[in-house]
Amino acid sequence: MFCVISFIVLSILGVFSAENRSLAREALDCVLRRVTLRPCNTGFDEKMKARILGFVITKTETGARILNRFFEPLSWIFVLLFLGSAFFAVRGVYLFYVTGSCNGLNQSGFCVFDPTGQSNQISNVGESCPVVLPGEDPVSLKGVNLDGFPVLNAEGEKSIVFIGSYGCEYSRKAYPVVRQLAEKSAARFTFLYYPVKESSDYLAKVGYCAYRQDAEKYWSLVDTFFTAERSQIEDESFIRQTLSEAGYNADTILFCASDPQTEWVVKKQLSEVVKTGFFGTPTVFIQNEVLIGPKPPRVYAIALNGLLYWAR
Amino acid sequence: MNIQKIRQDFPLLGWSNGRKPIIYFDNACQSLRPQAVIEAVQRYYEETPACAGRSMHRLASEVSRQVDEARQQVARFLHAGRKEEIVFTRNTTEAINLVANALDWKAGDVVLLTDKEHNSNLIPWQMLARRFGVCLKFVPSNPDNTFNLAAYQQALQGGVRLVAMGYTSNLDGVSIPAEEVVRLAHKQGALVLLDAAQTAPHQRLDVRRLDADWVAFSGHKMLAPSGIGVLYGKYRLLETMQPFLVGGDTVASSTYEDCQFLPPPEKFEAGLQNYAGIIGLGAAIRYLQQIGLENIEKHETALNQYLSEALKSVPGLQIIGPADARLRSGIVSFFIPGVDHHRIALMLDQMAGIAVRSGQHCVHSWFNSRGIPGSVRASVYFYNTEEEARQLVDALIKIRKVL
Repeated sequence: MFCVISFIVLSILGVFSAENRSLAREALDCVLRRVTLRPCNTGFDEKMKARILGFVITKTETGARILNRFFEPLSWIFVLLFLGSAFFAVRGVYLFYVTGSCNGLNQSGFCVFDPTGQSNQISNVGESCPVVLPGEDPVSLKGVNLDGFPVLNAEGEKSIVFIGSYGCEYSRKAYPVVRQLAEKSAARFTFLYYPVKESSDYLAKVGYCAYRQDAEKYWSLVDTFFTAERSQIEDESFIRQTLSEAGYNADTILFCASDPQTEWVVKKQLSEVVKTGFFGTPTVFIQNEVLIGPKPPRVYAIALNGLLYWAR
Repeated sequence: MNIQKIRQDFPLLGWSNGRKPIIYFDNACQSLRPQAVIEAVQRYYEETPACAGRSMHRLASEVSRQVDEARQQVARFLHAGRKEEIVFTRNTTEAINLVANALDWKAGDVVLLTDKEHNSNLIPWQMLARRFGVCLKFVPSNPDNTFNLAAYQQALQGGVRLVAMGYTSNLDGVSIPAEEVVRLAHKQGALVLLDAAQTAPHQRLDVRRLDADWVAFSGHKMLAPSGIGVLYGKYRLLETMQPFLVGGDTVASSTYEDCQFLPPPEKFEAGLQNYAGIIGLGAAIRYLQQIGLENIEKHETALNQYLSEALKSVPGLQIIGPADARLRSGIVSFFIPGVDHHRIALMLDQMAGIAVRSGQHCVHSWFNSRGIPGSVRASVYFYNTEEEARQLVDALIKIRKVL
């Protein structure tokens, strides 16, 4: 078993040194002989064992004695550890590719490819917003009534539901990616605006009125709110200007937004959003998957179109 | 003999490459080279890289002079009667092969060997046995691996054409009583070839007093460059021997049908010679003579005595050969039953930078006949110290605790 672990280690080291390459070749020969149930006749295992013992004995005699006595079992342990760690490494790479995190979808543990955990960052719905904490129930669209929410490509076969907030940095990052994917894939795109700050509550009502008045113009309005400076979207004059530029009558929309009936409907809509059990934005539902935080574009694409999304 | 001063002449002994300084105990395989030899070789390549004996220009003349001087030096070193008795070869093996292939053999000729010959002095005769039906006989050693003179005398009785024996064994350092061996062989009309590869570097050789017909040795065990060896042969024998390798520089003239060989030693030195090696050998002999072979032998014997005594403290360690270290030249060959000899050697190198030889030392026949897998061989030379020997023993004690 020592030959196997040596071959693996030396093959890796052999990338950097010719001496290790030649040792790796010896180890390979030894491995091939072992797997065909023949003894290793190159003396490789003896040679390496002696070298290792020679090194260890200068540090600790007891350690060398133990190593000499349990050399084969220790080799087995190292091989098993290697196989275990190799499995987790491969799994980590796969999960990172598919979910944007080495630990799995929406899992926040350390990931070497995303050390700062950007793929899982969300704007929590905080103190200044209606408090929504992660519940025991999983985040889901089950029992949530999506009627009345803005929809793009209503006839699309596949479905994307995006919960985001104009004031949320991570929503701003994810929105253009998801929106583009929805357009490219002709997927049904439902936008659930959920303000993470009270100051942007107002935009929920503006958005509701704008969508009711003209659904087509609505999306350019959303695009502008997501790309504008965050300080601007709380400014009424900016909202007016944006509404006008989108082709709306700003006065009409703002009047509608101040209507108590609108407030009631919007509150109802927000309570529907809360029913999803989400706890931060962006939260994206693609088909049956829930993606929390801004993921790399490929993760959304894989969720919508499968692993071979790029071949479609 | 100031060993510390001598050690400064050997670049490798002062070089550590960031690791522990090397402790070199593999001198029976190959010795280290002093700066004087390295410089002599370098000088040849820098100043006179030309052919000896062929071209007429000054570089060639200078090389011819140096080669001639080296030959003279070797002759003096061996106390040979004339320098023409010195034939340069690549090594001892080639020298023995030269003798084996230069005599006229017939089926039934007997070659007498000891039972612990190096393959260099065994395989050439085995080839003769295959080709000509030559009969090989072996003189069994005494139980302590010393030479069994009685068995030798008995073996000579049956009629022997050639006695070919290692003067000093590379296995255990034991020397045969060479003068007596030669005298008894000659008395029975046998010729004698001595493999002195392990003798020439360590003790005074007087070929005329020995009266051996041929003596072979290598340069690389006695400070000279590798690739140079010597065959001493009595001139009258060399004259009658057929050349082994033939070609350029072995003939005075040739026609399409025939050739006229040069007299010895040229007729045995075919092709361009290893001039750098020959000049280096001359420098090595000069160096050895400055130190004095008597001093070298004395130092090695004392060191072997110290080492052999100290090795008694390593549990289970068995030394091959006689218990008396004075009979084992500078060689201590040992094994620990149940412990792999290669592992010991590798660990010595890894943990303490000690270079020793492990295996069967080209004496497979001896090991195989006794069922011993191999041994570790520590062979000292005049630049080794008691402190180095102590480090070897300390390391072995540690290894023994682990293995």
